[in-house]
Amino acid sequence: MTDILVPQGQWEPDQEAALATWLYGEGEAVQKGVTVAEIMVEKTSFEIPAPASGALSISVREDEIVLPGQVVGSVE
Amino acid sequence: MSLHDVAVEKPNVERRLTIAKAMSEAIGQEMEQDPSVLVMGEDIGKMGGVFGTTTGLFETFGGDRVRDTPISETAFIGAAVGMAASGMRPVVELMFVDFFGVCMDAIYNLAAKQSYFSGGKVSCPMVLMTSVGGGYGDAGQHSQCLYATFGHLPGMKVVIPSNAHDAKGLMLSAIRDENPVIFMFHKALQGMGWLGTVAGSINDTPESEYLVPIGKASIVREGGDITLVGLGATVHQALAAASNLHDAGIDAEVIDLRTISPLDRETICASVSKTGRLLVVDDDYLSFGIGAEIIATVSEALPGPLKCPPQRMAHPDIPIPFTPVMEHFLLPDAGKIESRVIAMLGEKK
Repeated sequence: MTDILVPQGQWEPDQEAALATWLYGEGEAVQKGVTVAEIMVEKTSFEIPAPASGALSISVREDEIVLPGQVVGSVE
Repeated sequence: MSLHDVAVEKPNVERRLTIAKAMSEAIGQEMEQDPSVLVMGEDIGKMGGVFGTTTGLFETFGGDRVRDTPISETAFIGAAVGMAASGMRPVVELMFVDFFGVCMDAIYNLAAKQSYFSGGKVSCPMVLMTSVGGGYGDAGQHSQCLYATFGHLPGMKVVIPSNAHDAKGLMLSAIRDENPVIFMFHKALQGMGWLGTVAGSINDTPESEYLVPIGKASIVREGGDITLVGLGATVHQALAAASNLHDAGIDAEVIDLRTISPLDRETICASVSKTGRLLVVDDDYLSFGIGAEIIATVSEALPGPLKCPPQRMAHPDIPIPFTPVMEHFLLPDAGKIESRVIAMLGEKK
């Protein structure tokens, strides 16, 4: 199992980031490198690539606030 | 050029994109192979577009080809018409279609007529991409669709994708077209978190280039009881309604227009010939709109009477309200479509 992490160092620490969109649903197959989710920081989006290939497991829902380095899901 | 629409090819694992990413990927790929393609607009440079339409292009191609403009639609859209006349292929962004007022002369008197007025000697290969649609409480000057306003004027093609796959293929077709193309994209489908996104708009989008033909609608669900025609966001509402109606024993066929002008009248008429019933759903103003044009088309073309009078659903003829309660009461949605269809099929059930 590989954790999916919110990227670090891409926006200022005082900016609020939210998990905007999951591009795949719970349990769906993803391939390493595809964008699985997008983070929105003040109307600018940042991508989270799949860290591995496998079935997606989601632990943070859309619209929730996230912090850099936080685990938002995993691939198994 | 005629690359095939690869909608039918399914790779093992899907590569899903949002419409925003699909649009910027298409523009980037075209800029890569055609030095005459460039982008202009407000906040389309470093910011990547308020709706993500030019994400990453500034970093790849630089400020000369991805040019931020002041709030000056009259100037930069007028400039694009001149660029298109002199061999370039500009893609310009009108951030909200609601702002068309200040630049409409450049659009419908210059761009749309350039080819006609020059006897076909000077074409106008430009793309004007613009956001449409409400539903998120942005009031009457940031929520309109104006499909019919643009569809009514000859000399321009007008397209609107309902999903990322079509967005990419339509954008490539639009940039390569010798005519001005108005490329509308619906905010509710764009994949920008702050607007919410309809999941169905995020779909498998091949990295390789492919064209979705302008002027060809798509049957996104087959059925025999009624034809539902939608575009952009209302395609997804119609699909959701069709799914519920199926459980109630009604099989709805759903058509995604994809292009407003030229309208794919053949696909619509063929479907209504089969089903005998028609409901057109759009989120533009009701009167003189898409629904009226499609119902007129069917009435003119089909010989026999339909099984019930054709109907249309749209936003009523008042400015779109700011208050969410009022806005959602007026805009079409899946529930309203479902009830209307049940009312139309009353005698059948």
